[in-house]
Amino acid sequence: MSPERYKEKKPSLVTAPVAALLSFFVPGLGQIMARRVQRGLLMLGAMVTIIGLFIWRVNLLGRRVDGFWPTLSKALERNTFFISFTILAIVALWVWIVYDAVKQTRKGKQYGNAIFALILLVFFGIGWQISEIDIVKLTSDANEAWLPLSKILWPWDAAVTRSTESLEAGAEVLVDSEGPAPPKPERVEGEPYVWVEPREGELSRLDDDNNIIPGTEITVYGEGFAPETRTEIWWSDAIGNEFQPRYQGRYVSTVTDEEGNFEMTMNMPYRLVPPSARGQQIHKVIGRQVSEVGPLLPSDPLVLTIELIIETIFMGMMATLFGIVFSVPVSFLAARNLMSSSWITLLIYYITRTILNIVRAIEPLIWALIAVVWVGLGPFAGIVALTIHSIAALGKLYSESIESINPGPIEAIQATGATKLQTIMFAVVPQMIPPFVSFTIYRWDINVRMSTVIGMVGGGGIGFLLVQYIRLLEYKSAGIAVWFIALTVAILDYVSAEIRQRFV
Amino acid sequence: MLEIKNLTKVYPDGTRALKNVSFTVEDGDFLVVIGLSGSGKSTLLRCINRLIEPTEGQILLDGQDIIKADNQELRLIRRRIGMIFQHFNLVDRSSVLTNVLSGKLGYITPWASILHKFPSKVRNEALAALNKVGIADQANKRADELSGGQRQRVGIARALMQNPSMILADEPVASLDPVLAHTILGYLEDLNKETQISVLCSLHYLDLVQRYATKVIGLKDGVLVYQGDREDIREMTDEQFKEIYGEEAKRVSAGTLSGEVRE
Ligand SMILES: Nc1ncnc2c1ncn2[C@@H]1O[C@H](COP(=O)(O)OP(=O)(O)O)[C@@H](O)[C@H]1O
Ligand SMILES: [Mg+2]
Repeated sequence: MSPERYKEKKPSLVTAPVAALLSFFVPGLGQIMARRVQRGLLMLGAMVTIIGLFIWRVNLLGRRVDGFWPTLSKALERNTFFISFTILAIVALWVWIVYDAVKQTRKGKQYGNAIFALILLVFFGIGWQISEIDIVKLTSDANEAWLPLSKILWPWDAAVTRSTESLEAGAEVLVDSEGPAPPKPERVEGEPYVWVEPREGELSRLDDDNNIIPGTEITVYGEGFAPETRTEIWWSDAIGNEFQPRYQGRYVSTVTDEEGNFEMTMNMPYRLVPPSARGQQIHKVIGRQVSEVGPLLPSDPLVLTIELIIETIFMGMMATLFGIVFSVPVSFLAARNLMSSSWITLLIYYITRTILNIVRAIEPLIWALIAVVWVGLGPFAGIVALTIHSIAALGKLYSESIESINPGPIEAIQATGATKLQTIMFAVVPQMIPPFVSFTIYRWDINVRMSTVIGMVGGGGIGFLLVQYIRLLEYKSAGIAVWFIALTVAILDYVSAEIRQRFV
Repeated sequence: MLEIKNLTKVYPDGTRALKNVSFTVEDGDFLVVIGLSGSGKSTLLRCINRLIEPTEGQILLDGQDIIKADNQELRLIRRRIGMIFQHFNLVDRSSVLTNVLSGKLGYITPWASILHKFPSKVRNEALAALNKVGIADQANKRADELSGGQRQRVGIARALMQNPSMILADEPVASLDPVLAHTILGYLEDLNKETQISVLCSLHYLDLVQRYATKVIGLKDGVLVYQGDREDIREMTDEQFKEIYGEEAKRVSAGTLSGEVRE
């Protein structure tokens, strides 16, 4: 409201006590009757909203309790500070509004906008509670977050692998059944050799209280392995399924002596044997040395990440290209100075502008959801989504730069006797290039950034991989993806800034 | 010789910017148009090279009616009329040289010039024009790196490239300080005296008018209200000037500047 309108304020329709009474029953009504309609409506709206929100939150906090007072007291118990603060604030506001009504019946401009600060404060208080802000959690759960976070922050040991080679030998044992024990295996010259004593026995079992009853103790002997090397013991059941037995939570393993031999004892492990298993149950004890050989190789997550980063960058590029191609003609239709010659063109201008604004208001991620339905999962869906959004965004930016073109140089070039085409090339194009380059690079930047996340909804690119890794709790692989995204965006930032500087 | 007969301009919104204006410019005249802002000076100058389409009347350049010219003829006429502007109207992002070269566009085959290719003869001519206005050393700078006075000189150099027989100058010094105003008008005066190029120039300050004009016309609300020659102007008093100008009239400054001042 302009100051003049305050000066010409007509006298209040009601006396001060009446205004106070009105505002006591309907907050703001007194102000309205004192001809401060805006102020009164604002206060009324604020109070209704605050009380409405408050009742909603109280009901949520005091769930499963009947009656007004029990609900309120349960809510108060669960969130004492919030409830008592809000109640106090509402009472204070109410009193303040009544007092304000009295003041507004006086002549002249009445200040006192502090009341709106309190209203704002109440809104923020309610907002804090609604959005479940829990600062304590930031620190209390930090330990749990640290493990995955540290993996994401430094994932590089998962970025490389070596191929592995294993040196192994096994010996059969008879378990949980009658029959002749299998023979001691044949020794083959030049190959590792494993045998077991005794060669029959019983597996560990669980009793009725789920306590483990250790199986038969066996001694495993090995010869001809690599000296002084960790050797894993594996177990293969009757149908050939291998597993690594544990003892007290650790995998059973041993280390060979300087001649490559070992001798160790263990209990036969626990293994759920299918009830249908009848007759002789022959299991196998395996000694296995796994060694990494050959050069360091990029791991699968690294290779996948690089492939998808490339896909991502090109998605952004293609979306920008298509965006330019379509938005240039659109931008002419959306430039007021070109379209104001007749009412038909003006109508086209308004329609184009409206469509552009609507399309731009819808986030690329939502366009991606639509595009996935339209063209299926994959990068093309992402490109379609980003293209649609780019057309709208670039169309607006281009058209605005057409509108802001300086007519002076055009006039000057025309005055030299130049043709239309010459005028465009000498006076229009040079003015268009900087905003065009600048906006296009800016958009390319946005498109690549967006394509890093658009995969999360199935639109191709690295986002899909990232989400997958996080869901599978493969934090190191996820970390690799995060690093590459960050690197790409940083490089892009730098490059686009450089290009823009050159051209503008 | 330029004869303007009963020139009238009505804008599409109904504004009558020029009403039945008639006057004559002889070759070699330095004709100054004075008048309040909004009196129609810009409209008048732009009607002469049809940047604005006149509504009625005749504009005869050496007997040829500009208003009747078709597109091709109009371009041939335009290239003989140089124009300089209050806000210089340079292409900011192009180099000074390119801005000057663009004065030659009317003489160049369109297709070659679109690729910004100019014959070396034309380039030399452009450098000579820049030399003439004293800024040959700025040729490769971007136009927006120059100061206001330098930019207006680029504007003059661009007009010179047209080998004009007439120069239209729409308040060429209104956005420059007084010293620069004399420099710029000095160049125009030199051209006018040396090569008999006629100059049509709108100006605001009485002492500039008295110093440079050989003929003056005054406009008020689109009507020609004053016409005088060199002698009439000399005798013109501030009061007469104010009659045309209203209260806006002012001198550059109290006579501290002589016409001889150059940068
Ligand atoms: N494009 C236009 N459309 C409508 N009226 C205009 C236009 N250009 C100028 N006018 C009007 O014509 C009159 C003369 O303007 P102008 O020639 O610019 O005056 P001056 O240059 O003397 O200040 C003014 O009333 C101005 O408002
Ligand atoms: Mg003007």
